Order: sequence, then C-alpha cells, then structure tokens
Amino acid sequence: MLNFNFKKIMKMKSYKIILSLFAICIAISCSDEFVEENAPFQVNSDSFFLSETDYNNALIGAYDLLQATYVNVILGEIASDNTHAGGESATDVVGWQQVDRMQHTPVNDNLDDVWDFNFAGVYRASYIIENEANDVEFDGKAQIIAEARFLRAYFNFELVKWFGPIPIKPDGRFELGDELSLPRSPVEEVYTLIEDDLLKAIPDLAVQAPEVGRAPKAAAQALLGKVYLYQDKFAESAQQLQAVIDSGQYHLYGTRDGEDFLNLFEFFVENGPESVFEVQYSGAQGAGFGCLQCSEGNVAVGFSGVRGYNGPVYVSGFGFNLPTQETVDAFSDDDLRKELSILDIEAWKAEFEAQGQPVTYTIGNQDPVTGHTGFYNRKYIPRENEREPDGNLTHPNNYRAMRYADVLLMGAEALNRGGINDELARDYLNQVRERAGLDPVTSSGAQLLNDIYLDRRLELMGEGHRFFDLVRTGRAADVIDGFTPNKNEVFPVPFEEIQFSQGNWEQNPNY
Amino acid sequence: MNKWIYLLVLSITTSIAFSQSTVSGTVVDDADLPIPGVNIAIKGTTQGTVTNFDGEFTLQDVNNGDIIVFSYVGFKTQEIAYSGQDTIDVKLEVSAEALEEIVVIGYGAQSRQKVTGAVSSVDAESIQDLDPLNAASALQGTTAGVNVTPNSGSPGAESNIRIRGISTNGNSAPLIILDGFQYDGGLNSINPQDIESITVLKDAQAAIYGSVGANGVVLVETKTGKRNQNAVVTYNTYFGLQETTRKLPLLNANEYVLMLNESYANAGQTLPFPDISAIENDTDWQDEVLESAQIISHNVSIAGGSEKTDYSFSASHLDQEGIVAPEKSNFKRTTVKLSVNTDVRDFLNLKANVFHTNNRSKGINSFGLGSVLFNALNIAPIISRDRDNLDGTIDLGNEVVNPLTQINNTFNDFESNRLSGSFQAELEYIKDFKLTGRYGFNSSKLNNREFFPEFNFGTSKVFTRQENQVNLNQQDFYDYTFDLFHTIDKSFGEHDVTLTLGMTVFRSHGEGIFGSRTGVPNNSYSFADLGTATGTGDQQTNGSFVSEFRRLSYFGRLQYEFKEKYLLSAMLRRDTSNRFGPNNQTGWFPSVTTGWIISEEEFFDLGDWFNLAKFRASYGELGNDSIGDFLYSSLLNGEAEYVLGPDQSLVSGQALGPLANPDVKWETAKKLNFGLDLAFFDRDLSVTVDYYNNTRDDLLIPGIPVSGIFGVAAPGSSSPTLNAGSVENKGLEMAFNYSKIVDEDFSFNVAYNFSTINNEVTAINGAPFLEGGVFGVGQLPPSRMEVGQPIGYFYGLKTDGIFQNQAEVDAHPSQQALGASAQPGDIRFVDVNGDGTINEDDRTYIGDPIPDVTMGFNFTLNYKNFEFSTYSFANLGQEIVRNYERDQVNVNLLSRRLERWTGPGTSNTEPRVTAGANTNKVFSDYFVEDGSFLRVQTISLGYFFPEQILKPINASSIKVYAKIDNAFTFTEYSGYDPTASTGAPIGGGIDLGFYPLPRIYTLGLNVKF
Repeated sequence: MLNFNFKKIMKMKSYKIILSLFAICIAISCSDEFVEENAPFQVNSDSFFLSETDYNNALIGAYDLLQATYVNVILGEIASDNTHAGGESATDVVGWQQVDRMQHTPVNDNLDDVWDFNFAGVYRASYIIENEANDVEFDGKAQIIAEARFLRAYFNFELVKWFGPIPIKPDGRFELGDELSLPRSPVEEVYTLIEDDLLKAIPDLAVQAPEVGRAPKAAAQALLGKVYLYQDKFAESAQQLQAVIDSGQYHLYGTRDGEDFLNLFEFFVENGPESVFEVQYSGAQGAGFGCLQCSEGNVAVGFSGVRGYNGPVYVSGFGFNLPTQETVDAFSDDDLRKELSILDIEAWKAEFEAQGQPVTYTIGNQDPVTGHTGFYNRKYIPRENEREPDGNLTHPNNYRAMRYADVLLMGAEALNRGGINDELARDYLNQVRERAGLDPVTSSGAQLLNDIYLDRRLELMGEGHRFFDLVRTGRAADVIDGFTPNKNEVFPVPFEEIQFSQGNWEQNPNY
Repeated sequence: MNKWIYLLVLSITTSIAFSQSTVSGTVVDDADLPIPGVNIAIKGTTQGTVTNFDGEFTLQDVNNGDIIVFSYVGFKTQEIAYSGQDTIDVKLEVSAEALEEIVVIGYGAQSRQKVTGAVSSVDAESIQDLDPLNAASALQGTTAGVNVTPNSGSPGAESNIRIRGISTNGNSAPLIILDGFQYDGGLNSINPQDIESITVLKDAQAAIYGSVGANGVVLVETKTGKRNQNAVVTYNTYFGLQETTRKLPLLNANEYVLMLNESYANAGQTLPFPDISAIENDTDWQDEVLESAQIISHNVSIAGGSEKTDYSFSASHLDQEGIVAPEKSNFKRTTVKLSVNTDVRDFLNLKANVFHTNNRSKGINSFGLGSVLFNALNIAPIISRDRDNLDGTIDLGNEVVNPLTQINNTFNDFESNRLSGSFQAELEYIKDFKLTGRYGFNSSKLNNREFFPEFNFGTSKVFTRQENQVNLNQQDFYDYTFDLFHTIDKSFGEHDVTLTLGMTVFRSHGEGIFGSRTGVPNNSYSFADLGTATGTGDQQTNGSFVSEFRRLSYFGRLQYEFKEKYLLSAMLRRDTSNRFGPNNQTGWFPSVTTGWIISEEEFFDLGDWFNLAKFRASYGELGNDSIGDFLYSSLLNGEAEYVLGPDQSLVSGQALGPLANPDVKWETAKKLNFGLDLAFFDRDLSVTVDYYNNTRDDLLIPGIPVSGIFGVAAPGSSSPTLNAGSVENKGLEMAFNYSKIVDEDFSFNVAYNFSTINNEVTAINGAPFLEGGVFGVGQLPPSRMEVGQPIGYFYGLKTDGIFQNQAEVDAHPSQQALGASAQPGDIRFVDVNGDGTINEDDRTYIGDPIPDVTMGFNFTLNYKNFEFSTYSFANLGQEIVRNYERDQVNVNLLSRRLERWTGPGTSNTEPRVTAGANTNKVFSDYFVEDGSFLRVQTISLGYFFPEQILKPINASSIKVYAKIDNAFTFTEYSGYDPTASTGAPIGGGIDLGFYPLPRIYTLGLNVKF
C-alpha cells in the first residue's frame, strides 16, 4: 500500500532539487506570446486604404476585372443572330454551343463565368467605394472614387443585362451571409443604383482621364445614356449622349485627314479619337487556361481567330464566333463596314495566292447550325504581334467598349423614339452612314427607326451588343433561331448560385 | 652472454605479465540451439567478437582476470571471469524482460505487454526484407489499418499514408516524428536501411501530440550502435531493371482510320480519310515512350559501441531512372547519417543524431491533361514518331502533341538538400526522476530550374512557345522542435506510476524566391539562367514568399499499473498555434487509454497454450491544424494588374486575396477504440483485434465554394476556409502473426491482417454538399462530399445500356438537356428522380474511391541457408474513374471502342463513335470502374553463404538475393495502375493517366563484417 510520509519527504534535500529544476523549466518555457505573430511581410486589410498609393493600387485592382469581360463580348455575339459558335467541333466549349442554339440551361460553366467575373468586378470596385468616407484625404481622391463608381456601374449593367434581377449592395462589398438574406433586387432597383453611381461619378471625373485607359467624364455620360436608353428613358438618355457629342472631344475616325476608316481596329488606332472608353489588353504577360480571368490579354480575340491559319497579316486561333452568311448579306456592297467587319477567308486566300503567297487554314466545327461559315470577325481576330505564351490567350487587341459611333446611333435612337427631334436624329445617323461610304437617309418616324436599327447592327457587328439590342426592342424572337419568348430574354442564374442561396433566390422564369 | 640471459628473463616476465591467451567456445540457448551473432566483449576494453552461424566464437588476447561479457537481444547478459580456461561454453537464459518488446509511444517508450493503445509496428527485419525505395511502402500490408498509395510511379514520388480511413477533406497525412522531433520532409528522403522501427499510433494513444495527432502518428526510430559490440560493418547493394507492368490496348493505324471515318460518317460530315490505303505510319506510341530503366543502390554502415558509448554511421546512394523517358525522369538520393549515444555519467545520457540527404531529380509532365503518357494514349497512330510539328496532320485539338517531342523539349532540374538532427540530454537528477531536453531541427534548401524552349509543336498547340523562358525557384525551410519534459517512474508496492510532464515548442520558417526571364541565348538549356537570359522589362518576373508557423504545447501523461495487470493511461495536452484566429487560439486535448491483462488473473487458466489475453479500451480527443497560414486575416495578396498609358505597359496594384475567416480553428478528432491482444502457443501465434470508431468534427474545408458575389473569381482570390463538416470512420482491424522455429534448419513466419473501413460524412454546415475533382473539360465536378455518403464519392449519371433503335429513344425521357438529343447507339441514362427528363438532377452515387477492406499477407521462410519471403496486399471495394481519354473527335481510342454499337443488337455497353454533338462523354458510370486489386508486392529469394566461405574472409554474413517488386497485380481495372490516386479527399481516385509503378527485377548483395 502507499506509504506516504509527507514530513519525511519534505525533509529530503532532494525535493529542493526537484523544485529548482521545475523552476528552471518554467523559466525556460515560453508564454503564449510566442504564438502571436502577424503574417510576415504581408499587407492586411487593417493596414490598407491609409494613403493615396493604397487607393490607386486598389483602383488598378478594380480595372483588372474589365479584362475578364471578354466573355461578355464573345458570348453576346454568339447568342445573337450575328455569328455561329464555331470551335473545334459541335461540342467544343459546350456552354457556348448551347447558347448559340438557345438551348442553354442553368448548368453552364460559361454563363457561370459571366456571373463570377462581373461580380468580382463589382466586389473590387465596392471595396474602394466603402472607403470613400475615411479620414484619409488627398487631391484626386474624388476622381478615384468616381472611377470606382463608374466601374461598379459598368459591371452591374453587364450583370443586369445578362441575368435580370441581381443582388446589389450600394454601401459596399457583400459579406458572407448576404446570399441567404439579400434578395435578387428587381431590375428597376438595379438600374437605380447604376444611375446613382454614374450621376455621382460624372461631376468628379476629369474630362481628360488622368492616364490613357482610365475612364474620362464622357465614358460615364455615354454609359449613363446607354443605361437610360435600355430603360426607354429617352429624354434623359438623349441629354447624356448629347453632352458627349457636343463636348467635341471625339469624332468618327476616318473623317479627318490621315485617317482611314478601315484601320479603326488596328493596333496603332487604339485609344484613338473614336474611343470614348476602351478596355486595355497587353501581350506582355503569360497566361493559361487555369485562370482565363487572370490573363492580361484579350482571350476572345484568340478564340475568334482562324483555325490553323498560316499566312500574312493574321495569326491562327480557335475558330469561334463565326459570322453567318445572312449577316454578311445584310451589308450592302458599297458599305465599307463589310470589309471592316468580315474576313471572307476564301476570298482572302484567293487574293494572296494570285500573288504567289500561300494561305492555309483548317476547318473545325462542320455542324450546319453552329459550325464553319467561311467568315470571321475581322475586327477582333488575332493579328501578328509579339506576346507571351499561351499565345492564344494573350493577344493585345483592346476592346472598344464605347465608340463615338455607338454614341451617335444611341443618340439618334433616343431622339427618334422619344419623339424629341427627328431631324437631329437623322443627322447623327447620317454622320455614321457617310463615314461608312453610304448615302444619307431622308426617312423619319418609324422608318427612320428601322434605318437606325439596321445601322446599329452593321456598325456594331462583332462587338457584343446585338443580342441585347434585339431583346430590349422586342425583336429577338423574330430573328434569333430557337429563341423562346418569356425565357431567353435573360440568361439563367447559375445552378450553383441558386444552391448557395439555399432558397433565397429563385431561378429566372421557365429555366 | 648477458644479452641472451636478458632476453630470456624479458621473455619469461613478459609472458607471465601479459599472459595472453585465446579462448573459444559455443553459445547456446535454453533449447541447446546455437545462437549466432552473440556479442562477446572483454569488459573495459574494445576487444570483442561475435559468434558465428554455429554459435561458435574465438576470443584472442584474453588476460587472466578479464571479464568476458556475453550479450544478445532477448537474453540475459552473462559475465564470466577468465582464469585460464581454454573453452568457455555458455548457455544464455531468455530474459523475461526482453520478451517484452519495447514500443515507442511518444515522449517515452513502453513494453508491448503494457501498451493500452492501438499501436502497430514494423521492425528493421521486415524493412530489410521489403527493401523499399520509399520507407512509407514498408507500412503497406504490414500494419493493419494503414493504407499507403503512391502519388505516382515516377521516380522520387512521395506516398500518401492514410491511417484508418480518410477523416478530413484537408490534409490527411499523419504526423511523422523522427527520433523524437517533427519531420515534415516526407519519408522519401529517409534511407530505409537507416530505420530501426516504424511505429504507428492509431487511436487516442496519439493524444499526447494534441493538435497534430488527429491523423495518427508515425514514429520512426533510426538505427543506433549497440553497447559492448565490436564495430560491425555492413554493405548492401542491389541492381535492378524496371519495366512497366502494363500497356493499355489502343487502336492501331488501320483500326484508327476506320473508326474515325465511321465517326464522321455518323455525324454527316466529310470523311477525314477518303483513301485508307494512303496511310503510311503505324506508330505504337506506348512502345516509343515506355522503356526499361535501371536502378542501383549502395548502402554502407558501421555501428558499434563500448560500455558507455555506442555509435553508428551510414551512407547510401540510390539512383533510379524512370520507365518513361529515363534521361529526363530520374531520381538520385544520397544520405549520410551519424549518431552517437553516450552515458556521460550514470545519471546523464547524451544522444546526438545528424542526417544529411541530397535528392536530385528530373521530371516530365506526368499527371493529367498534357502529360507525356496522356499524349501517348491520345495521339493518332498514323503520325510518324519523328514528326515534331503536328501541323498538316489530323487536328488533335490544342493539347495533344508528339510525346517524344515533348520529352525532348522538357528541361528541368530539382535539387533538395536537407540537414536534420536531434540532440538530447537525459538527466536522472534523483532516482526515478528524469529530465529530458531535446532539440530537433530540419533545415532544407530546395532549388528548382525549369527551361521552356521556343518550339513550335503546331499552330495553336498550348505548348507552342514563341519565346523561351527560364524559371528559377529557391526555397529555404528551417524548423525546430524543442522538448523539455520530466519523467517520473515510481513504484509503491503493487502500484507502478509513470508521470510525464512537459512542454514542446515547434517553429517553422520558410522563405522562397522565384524568378523567370525570357530570351535564353541559343534557345538552349546550357544557358538557362536568369543572369544569362536577355529578356527585359515585362519579360522578367519575380516573386517571393515568407511563411512562419509556431506552436506551443504543454502536456502531461499519467501511466498507472496495478498488479501489472490493470493498466490506465491518462493524457492532457494544451496547444496554441498561430494558424488559428485570436478567438480560437487555444485547444485542450484529453484522452484516456485503459487495459486489462486478463491472462494474469488467477481465474484465467486455460492451459499453457494460451499465453496472453489483454483487453484494451481508449477514448481521446485530438486535433488537426494542417490548414493554410493566416486564414483569419484578410490579406491583400490577390493579383491586380491592368494596362495603362500610351505605351500599353503593365501596371500592378493591390487586391484582396482569399476570403478570410476570423473564427477558423483546428479540427477535432474523437477516437474510440476497443482492442484485444491474444497470444498462443508460447507466443508463436499472436492475434490482435481492434474495433475503432472515429468522428472528425469541425472539418476545415478549404476553398468552400461560395457565391460569386464575394469576388472569389477575381485573380488571386478564392473562397474562405471554414470549419464546417464532420466525418465518421469506423471499422474492424485484425492481425494474425504466426512464427515457428521448427528446427535449426527450418523456420517460417506467416502474417495476415485486414481492416475494414466504413466512411460516412455526417454533417456539412452551410452547404448541402462540397464538390471537387475534375472530369473531362468544362464538365461539372465529379466528386462530392455529402451527408450520408463516403467522402469524395463519385456523383454522376447512371447508365442503362445503349439505345438500339429510334423507338427506344422515343420511349425514353429526353436527354436534350445534357447538350444533344439522343440517337440510336448513344448511352441511355436513368431518370433517377423520375421527373420525365434526363438532366443534371439525375446524378446520383455511382461509386467511391475508399476501399471497403484492405488486407496484407506476408510470408517468410528460412530453410538452411535459404530465405524466401513474399509480401502482398489488397484493397477491395473502391472504384476508379477513367479520365485519360481526351474528349476530342480525332484522338486515338482504347481498343474497347472496337466493340462499339454499329446497329441494333451490336452492343449494349459501348456507344457509337460520332464526331457530332452527343452526350456520351458526360460523366456517368460508363467511366467508373472497379478498382479492387491484389498486388503481390515483393517476392524474394535469398541465399546466405555458408561458414566455409565466410571464415577465411572474416565476414559474419553474406547474402545474395533476387527480388521482384510489384510482381503481379490482379485487378479488373483497365488503366495502368489501380493505385492511381492523387490522395485528394474530394477528387481522389480519378485516373488522369497515372504514371505507372514499375515492376523491378533486382539482384542484391548484403555483406556484414
């Protein structure tokens, strides 16, 4: 049994040794402070937005997501009656093929990309806007906040065009849990936020952007004009668009000395006098399929190129986004825009072979509904250039997001449909037509409107606007094969998002 | 005259004074069988010898009065004074203590008899028999409940060790403790010949490791010298040839051409080969890419000791070439180890170990879309092997290139240098009170160089580069573990108490730098360096990282024995770690293990044949802190780049990185175990049975998918890590071991173990399920973690044969929603939810990658001078997803496609070939195969040279052997290797073209002096 004589123990000298050793141990041992460490050499959100540099850096982060809107452009074209999906086969990029046939469902990787990329843009812009009312003050802060508002409006506008009602949060970023409680705000409320952001931004934006590539005042005005037009608010729309037109900052390229209209989409005309706002791209950094939204190059351009192309001027691509015969026939023969917008590969090949220069290419998708047409989207196909691998993903072609020609045509439409000033509307339309080598029109009223609609299609061919123009003017069902009214006007909210919301968000009707 | 007398006197006196003689004799055990290898030493000197195969010895230069010490493991040491005998015959007695194998249990050791947890071990002899390239493989099939799968068959690949199933969707790797300190370097960098034992703590026994013990703990002890032993020099070497175990059956050129024509015809498109007689080449790409490769290993070690000190030194070199592209895929490992153990005084012992490992390897792209084997399987056989640029040949899409060209354009070099060691001092400051201080460290330096030459594989191939590029990557890691603890061992009558009380500090620091540059001169690897390359401006990039991890732990363990048959061990550990947010920084991990040695009870008297019956029960809570660092902090480490300015240059900004979770904490594992240890027939037969039930709560789920509205798709951003789930693993383990010494010529050992795993996810908070894994291109994720199912199960469509005619198509719900309308010859999917359409909602459980049963079977036999051994293991009940067929119309096909449907009644299992839109590539059970297998891992036959050959050269043992590794694998799986898996908890078990494990034919030689 235990024989524990406490007194005896205490008398032992050894206990002193034990105690002193324990004491040494405790002295050597560490306290919990050992474990408290911040991430080494890292900036965290507690130490951000403290200086002008921080705001500038954050703004670059917000602009970054504009490059991911290549999806909006190419998929917008494919959805319309302008182009076929194309690609290597009828199952290449299944999500795009389905949109081409108007057979898309909520399970669509590529529509999910549209949602994710544009909301990422909203998130980064909102982060800056959240920090508007900080104690930090410096010259130029208002300009930066204004640009952030412009960007948030830009991304939200894309989202509402594509998906209809979307969640919004004017004060700042979404927080974990918002997907369970914030509703998909009705379209009117989304537009109200967009208008609000732009109206706040316009006074603080400089007429000349601080750097080439950033948004000037006119970009916000033109976007606001477009946003009003989409809601049929014609008077407000005309007012904004006319402000841009009357500013005198822009003109139609090709109408002044030394300018040739056919060069409008070449590299040396980037950020030219017709671009009210351009999304910038560069080929200087490598990219991979693992993160297409990370690419600094224009991914849509590589996807639209001629498959297996070997020849002058252009380089090869994946063969998507192929203009149809019907589209090509819509141009009249003396319309300069036919040559500007369409590359007829056989004619091109014949032209060079006559000079002894060979041109070769391959054909991928041969499906009659979604495949090879013989035509390519000349504005945005790859030209010879220097770029980093993966070369297909890093073309430096900038996307002309808002052209002066578009501003004129929208202005004409607003003035006509709002019954405000047909004569001025006709004048704007004819400026565009004349530049394209066509005779002016003399129509008015409904006939003028039809002329405007037709010219919009021809002028903006290949730039991603057609589908939305058709939907907002109620003409989509007549013109797009497979279009189901009361369903395909908007795209379905991604399957995953409905599940994340755990019942809070409902799917768009009939999907 | 004087000279002679002087010499005579001198010789007489010297001979009396140094009366040195020789003594010889035999050493036998209590059965009168001779014992070879007994250590015989003259006490107080370094002189000694060892008994030979027949137990005989001869000891020289013995002086009168010398004490001769006879010692051998398992027997009581005997000391005999020499007083002039010519022969000394010794009979050694079995040591009762030694019967009890000592088992390492973490911060201490315990006799096997008294262990109350579920602990399995592998000893040096089994490791020697298996002679694995990677020490982790020694655990497969030898330890119940441990499943080891290689990451890949490529040389130098690491292995995934899973103890009792997969309990987390994060890091399932167990903690590795090497000679007492935490070792994160991977078992692949330890020389297996240096290992004395590997012990696995499977249940709450590991709780003394607190927040790092949840995945189980693997304790590795390296070899040390032996006291009172003459230096033993060992040299082991082997040479082997490796070849692939399998080649997949693919179409040849003729079959390919006909199939492709048919597939285009079925889609109404122009035939790609109008003239089939014009086909010139018929390349067997697998033959071109798979080669025989060699493997060589050398290992030398010296170990010995005196009365107070022992030492061991070893060095090894392994050189392994890969069976795919041996000149570009190979692995070299060189290790050096030195350890010294000395008793400075009776109460103070010092131990020091130092190891250095140098790994040098080159690799080829070996797993997944774009890997060399993937290309070899998918490239068309009509393309000539010499065709580097595929322009002008059939369009195979953007990834498939000539694999030989790919190999020729692969240049890389990876080197790691690792120095590890530990220093320990044990001070017995009072009788039964011991203070141990231990400092263990790992320091490693990794260097990686990669060169991507400018090369045109074909227009629009992703590998085509217009500019070359060199990437350099250097990383430094340093970590240390400092332990300071008391061990108090006291007996009070029939009560024995051991108390361990102490603390451990762990700190790990890492730094890395990377850079890349284009413009390498002459497009050649010889000039691939950042300084020599000529790229400027945006063509140079650089980056770096710094990581810091700290953990502080306090622990206590009380081991109590009553009457040596009632055993109890209670542990408590407190951990704090800088991976957890300020709200949750400290964790407490308690556990209890108990045992009852029933066979020591008086009432237990079933006979001499029943030697041991011990019942064990344990319960404990352990933690897992293997998540990323600083997840609770919102860091601005995302990517923010745009293009601004008239010269269109890149500008960088700052943006948020992965979403933060301020409440992040460790995962908690609750482990319950009941066990029974039995021994029969003089312990010749031992049986161990364990039932375990483990629940893992607060699973750390990295990148839990969240809505896109949180900006997680932005470059550099990603979803947060949340503690959001629980998983349960339960099962039964049984191990049988029978070893019999029939007579002095013949003995054998048979071991069999099996374990069952029943894995089920029991909760996921905040999401109905998690997805992961990759199948095809652009398809939904194929694997899920969902309540009620095993973790990482496969979620896809169920199939029900092939549509034979249009009537069957019309009778069935529409499959249009999957992407195309069904036609005769297409796969018919089951309308699982009965809603009248076939779409993604009809997906269901179609298999899982977790085996239901794992087994091991090992047999060793010794007859006279021959030794035969074989080790096998089997995993049964798991499925594998076949994902190495590129979904592109022109790639080569597996031969099984020859059985395709071509008309009604022709096939009900293989769909038609078509180049048009179809739904046959959507993930379904058509792509899921039974992955069960039985692998005969090792068969080896060895011969020990007889005494006559050994004696003249003073060798104590020479063995030559022939061995086959990975001899046979019996499986129905059609891919290269049924062990193919990344080991990812969600997304594992998907075969993307796994580099197969080679079969190795080896001849080896082991010499001991």
